[in-house]
This record gives sequence, C-alpha cells and structure tokens, in this order.
Amino acid sequence: MALIKDQQLSLSHAATPHIRFADWLDDDLVISDAVLTNGADDLACLLANANKLSIIAIEFETFADGRGFSMARMLRRDGYQGEIRAVGDVAMDRIEFMTRVGFNAFELREDQDALQALAKLGEVSVHFQPSADGKGPAYMR
Amino acid sequence: MYAYNQFDQTLVDQRVDQYRDQTRRYLAGEIPEDEFRVLRLMNGLYIQRLAPMLRVAIPYGLMKSDQLRTLAQISRTYDKGYGHFTTRQNMQFNWPTLESVPDILADLAKVQMHAIQTSGACIRNTTTDPFAGVSADEIEDTRPWCEMIRQWSTLHPEFAYLPRKFKIAVSGSSSDRAASQVHDIGLHLYHNEQGEMGFEVLVGGGLGRTPVIGKTVRKFLEPQELLSYLDAVLRVYNLNGRRDNKYKARIKILVNAVGIDAFAEMVEAEWQFTKGKDLRLPTAEIERVKGFFKPPNYLSVENSQSSLKAEMAAHPQFAKWYKQNTRDHKQPGYRIVVVALKNQLQAPGDVSHQQMDGIAALADQFSFAELRSTHDQNLVLADVAQRDLLSLWLKLTDLGMARANIGTLTDMINCPGLDFCSLANAETLILSRQINETFDDMDYQYELGEIQLKISGCINACGHHHVGHIGILGVEKGGKQVYQFTLGGSASNDASLGKTLGRSIDQDQVVVVIGQILDVYVQQRKTDETFLQTVRRIGFAPFKERVYGTHQRSAA
Ligand code: HEM
Ligand code: SF4
Repeated sequence: MALIKDQQLSLSHAATPHIRFADWLDDDLVISDAVLTNGADDLACLLANANKLSIIAIEFETFADGRGFSMARMLRRDGYQGEIRAVGDVAMDRIEFMTRVGFNAFELREDQDALQALAKLGEVSVHFQPSADGKGPAYMR
Repeated sequence: MYAYNQFDQTLVDQRVDQYRDQTRRYLAGEIPEDEFRVLRLMNGLYIQRLAPMLRVAIPYGLMKSDQLRTLAQISRTYDKGYGHFTTRQNMQFNWPTLESVPDILADLAKVQMHAIQTSGACIRNTTTDPFAGVSADEIEDTRPWCEMIRQWSTLHPEFAYLPRKFKIAVSGSSSDRAASQVHDIGLHLYHNEQGEMGFEVLVGGGLGRTPVIGKTVRKFLEPQELLSYLDAVLRVYNLNGRRDNKYKARIKILVNAVGIDAFAEMVEAEWQFTKGKDLRLPTAEIERVKGFFKPPNYLSVENSQSSLKAEMAAHPQFAKWYKQNTRDHKQPGYRIVVVALKNQLQAPGDVSHQQMDGIAALADQFSFAELRSTHDQNLVLADVAQRDLLSLWLKLTDLGMARANIGTLTDMINCPGLDFCSLANAETLILSRQINETFDDMDYQYELGEIQLKISGCINACGHHHVGHIGILGVEKGGKQVYQFTLGGSASNDASLGKTLGRSIDQDQVVVVIGQILDVYVQQRKTDETFLQTVRRIGFAPFKERVYGTHQRSAA
C-alpha cells in the first residue's frame, strides 16, 4: 500500500504498527514506540502517553468516522511531534483536511492512486480557521 | 451586507474545481457510491425520488438582488424554472442533473454564492432573524456574528465528518424569530446586568424523531470568545457523539445522555485549551465584519400618517396587506415588508424564475438591492420607505406575491413530502392545496389571528410540525397515507413541543379536522386570546371531544 509522508510519496518507512494502544498499555512486556489507535480508545490516556511514542497510527474503520480528526488535532496541541499516520479507509478526498489537523502520513486505501492523491494537497489553498498546521485564521493574515 | 474579498473568492472558486474533479472521478467509476454520496452532500446535492436536488446556501438568509437573479437564471438553465426556499433560509432546486452541478456551482461562485455544507454531517448554514439589523425590538444585530461563524465553519477541517448534521441559529432581539431553541446550538445576543453584550448559549435542541428544546449550557459568553467556545462544543461532540446509530447521533442525544451539567463541564474543560488563543476574535476583526452591515443611506423622511391613511382608504386591500405583511422598522419613515410565498397556486416556499427576477427588481427599486429569506419560507424586503409602500404593493400584486396572509393559517410551513422526497411517508403539498381551497376567506383568517400551521411528510420533521401551533405529520399505515395532529407547539421565546391530539386522520379529513380545531378555539377563546394561548389554557379535552367524538359517532 502506498504511503504518503511529509507531502511526498514514501518509499521506505516503518510498517504500520499492529499493536493496539490498549494492549500496549496493558502489557508491560511490549517494547514498541508505535501503536495503532482509533476513536474507541481512551483519548486522555493516549495523550498522557504520547511522549513515549514515535508513531501513532489512527485508524479509520470507515471514512465517515471523524473522531480521528479531533484526536490528531489534540495530539498536536499537546506538543506531540512524532508521526501521526492515517490508516484504514483513507482516500485522497480527505488527506487535505487530515493534513490540516495534524496527520503527516497517509496509508492510502488500495484503490487510491498516490500521485493523484499528492496533487490533492493544497487543492483549496486558503483557510478560514486555525488548525494544527500552524496557519492562522483568515483574519490573522 | 458582507462582500467577498480575494480570499473568500479563491476559496469558493477552488472548491468548485475540487467538486468538478470529484464528479468527474465519480462518473468515471473512481469513487465508490457511498463515498461520493458524502462528498456530494457536503456540496448540497441529494439524490431524490425523481432527480437530484441541489441546496444552495444563503448565509443567514441574506442576499443581493443580483444573487437572486442568478438563482432565477440557474432555475431556467438547469432546472424547471422555479426554486424552493427552505426552513433554513436556503434555496433548493429540484431538477438539476448530477453532471450539471459543477457548472451550477461555477455560476454561483461568480456572484459570491455556493452550496458548501448545505447538507451532510457537518456544520450547516447558520440561520438568524430575517429582521436582523432593522426590527424595532432588536437588542443587537446578529448578522456580523453569523458571518464570523460562517467563515469559521466553512471547510472546517476537523468538523467535516461529525456524527450528524449540526445547525446553529442566532437570535438578537426580544422575540425569537430564528427558532433558536430547536437548533443544535442556539445563540441569544443580549446585555447582561452589567450592560455588557454577550451570548447565552443553548445546546441540544432539535426536531426530527426525537424533538428536544435546547438547554442553556452557558449563561453568558463574552463575544470575543464565540468561536473558541463553539470550537470546544464541536470537539466534545465530534469525539463523544454516538456513531453507531444515525437516529441517535445528534448532539441532543449526547446532551440528554450525560446531562446538561456534565456536558457543560466537558465543554468547559475543553475550552480551557482554546480560550484566549488564536480563535479569540480581535476587536479589529469584529469591527471589520460589523462594517459590512452598516445601515444603508436612509432618507430622512417622516412617517406621514395622513398620506398613508389616504392610500389605505383608497385601497382597502392595501390596508390589509399593510397591517398583515409589514412590520415596524428601527428607522422612522421605513417599514419591513414580508413578501408572501404562500399563494393559492404554488407550494409554500416555491418561487418561479419570473417572480425571482421580479422581486430582485423590486429590491433594487425599493430596498437597497438586498433581500432576505425567512425560516417560515417567505421573503423580506427589509428597508422600504413608507411612501413607497403603495407602489411596491401594486407591483407585488402583479407578481402574485402580495397575499396578505403573513402569520395566518395559510402562511404555513410545508416540506416537499412524497412529491419530491424519497424519505416521505405521505404527501404534504396536497394538504396545502386543500387548506388553501377550504380556508380561502381571508377575513376568517384575520379573525383567527396568529396561527402557525406546520406540516412534515415524515418523522424527520423538515416542516417543523412539532413546533407548529397546529402540527401535521404524515405517516403511513397499512399502505395508506394518514396524518397525525399535534397541538400547542411553538418555536418562539415560549418554545414548546406540540402534543399528539389522538389517532391519525385520513387525507380527505384533514381540512375537516383543522376546521373543527378552529371551531373549538373560536368558541372557547377569551378576548384577545391567541390560538396558542387558548390551547394552553383549556387543554386537549375539548379538541379531542370535537374531533374524535363526532368521528366515533359517525363511524359507529
Ligand atoms: C427533499 C429532500 C429532503 C430530505 C431527504 C431531507 C432529509 C432530512 C432528514 C433525514 C432530516 C432529519 C435529520 C435528523 O433528525 O438528524 C431532516 C431535517 C430537517 N430538514 Fe430536511 N430533507 C429534505 C428537504 C427539506 C426541505 C425542503 C426543508 C425545508 C422546508 C428541510 C428542512 C429541514 C429542517 C429544518 C430539518 C431540521 C429538523 C431537526 O432539527 O432535526 N428539509 N431533513
Ligand atoms: S420531513 Fe420527511 S418527507 Fe418531509 S422533506 Fe423531510 S424527510 Fe422528506
């Protein structure tokens, strides 16, 4: 599956973590700094542990589950600097918004063309509201 | 009104291109059906029984005459020559083709319009009082605040995939004409005891299958923090709203599940992160936006009572129209005019392309080239000089838009029902036709006074039946279309949900039952008592007795 990372097609990168955040938390023996999480996990707990992680993969079971957007936003707001990877039902029509809220890596759904997806970034180049991308609201320009 | 700058224009233009590409990929089979569905909904495009339906945003109901002319042009070019104003102040076209929508959006963009977020599980068009900025009872103009909310919510990256749709309404006068208590968020602008202006924030109101009146989540919100507070509410909702069942996904269900106090605490906790930061509105920005809503150049004319009286004496119909369809204005010498989209021939809220062009010309001539749509599916010319009223009335009469029925029984709200809507259980437009035929005596309607009749074709309640003084809901029973009556609802300051009168009524009996309900009112009312007051005072028993008593006897 194609991965877009930091606005480029990534050719070598860590595999998407398969350890679920809840298991990572429960099991002291797991030594990993990469987890898979989704909207059902305890977000306060994820935020509290984020500094121990270098990859947080947020899973979209269906594209309509928008919780991941707020999760990424809050991770960045808390100062998390590692990778936030969108996985699951991830398609080109959402990666622009995902980038804005703080995702920096996208494991695209099978049917997606990575180059076409890259061209979608910045399709709407102006923004009315501040977000994790550091761009201020319209009135701060 | 607000005018786009280069920034707004770029956003809307780029959005059109984006949607054009999405449509192209969908038609080429590159976007799965269920995914395109969500993408098109975010651009206002539904697929309905007979054709797609496109909903165009009219931010807080305000438009320029040129914009209305473009809507007329679109209805001619891409549709069947008419449009429909909805209860959320938007316009719907019932017959565009899916392929033509990108072109329609491009035409709209040329006059600073779009269809962004008029549908889908996102923040919808913010609605407000159609008399904002002009009504005599206004506390504070809501329009600048609506505009700031519009900007903040437009293409919001975090809140585009909410559990369900999200609707905000803003009211700023002593009487609530925005149905703010039945919105996901209702905002009331007012002055507190210290004389400071701020918002009371209501949350969790809504209609649909679980009607709820909104609850106060914050008594006083400093206006500079409006967006940061909305941001906190939306984030709490986005993370915690139910996603397992779309009928339980609105914010009202969350608020009721955790309780308003716990919900308020969740919002406060989240707000601590955003308050006072980049979402805090700078005074300069507030002033900039307010600058777009300055009063027009009113002439300093006096209300000349004598000439008005003479005109009324010469034209009794004009006198009735004046009384029924115009309202007090802040500015001496001016009136607010409500243009009725409730005549006998068209469905409530429908407007033909000729009427759109006609009314646009009247706005140019008489009301500073602006007009507004209302949540009860009428139009408003907000700034008409009193001395022009007679000429305006004559021209409206020619357009079939001078029916003097605002606030009366036939000024009803009506969803499209089975004629257009794929979710409908029953026809609704046939009811408005029957009602217009049966109750065509305007003097009888004046005699009845203010009555809000609201009709929905199914439990989704697009016609707001729960908050009608008389509400009618279409249901299907054993393959038959029948109608359930509710009484005692209101969407105003005294908001309340109507209660069901009794078992459903056959289609051909609906007007009979309405007549019976009105009879009870006329018999029982005290001097100056409105229909709603009478229902609240005497309760349901007399109405039940009248409606079902006779039915049972005749059926037996
Ligand atoms: C014909 C196509 C339409 C469809 C498929 C449709 C669908 C729906 C659905 C499913 C809901 C319920 C949402 C919920 O409870 O979460 C709803 C609510 C609503 N609709 Fe429509 N609608 C249509 C047309 C209209 C029209 C023409 C109007 C205006 C006259 C309208 C105004 C509203 C309003 C104000 C609500 C809000 C009620 C609430 O707060 O729950 N809709 N619509
Ligand atoms: S109330 Fe029902 S029938 Fe009427 S427009 Fe809404 S969804 Fe359709």
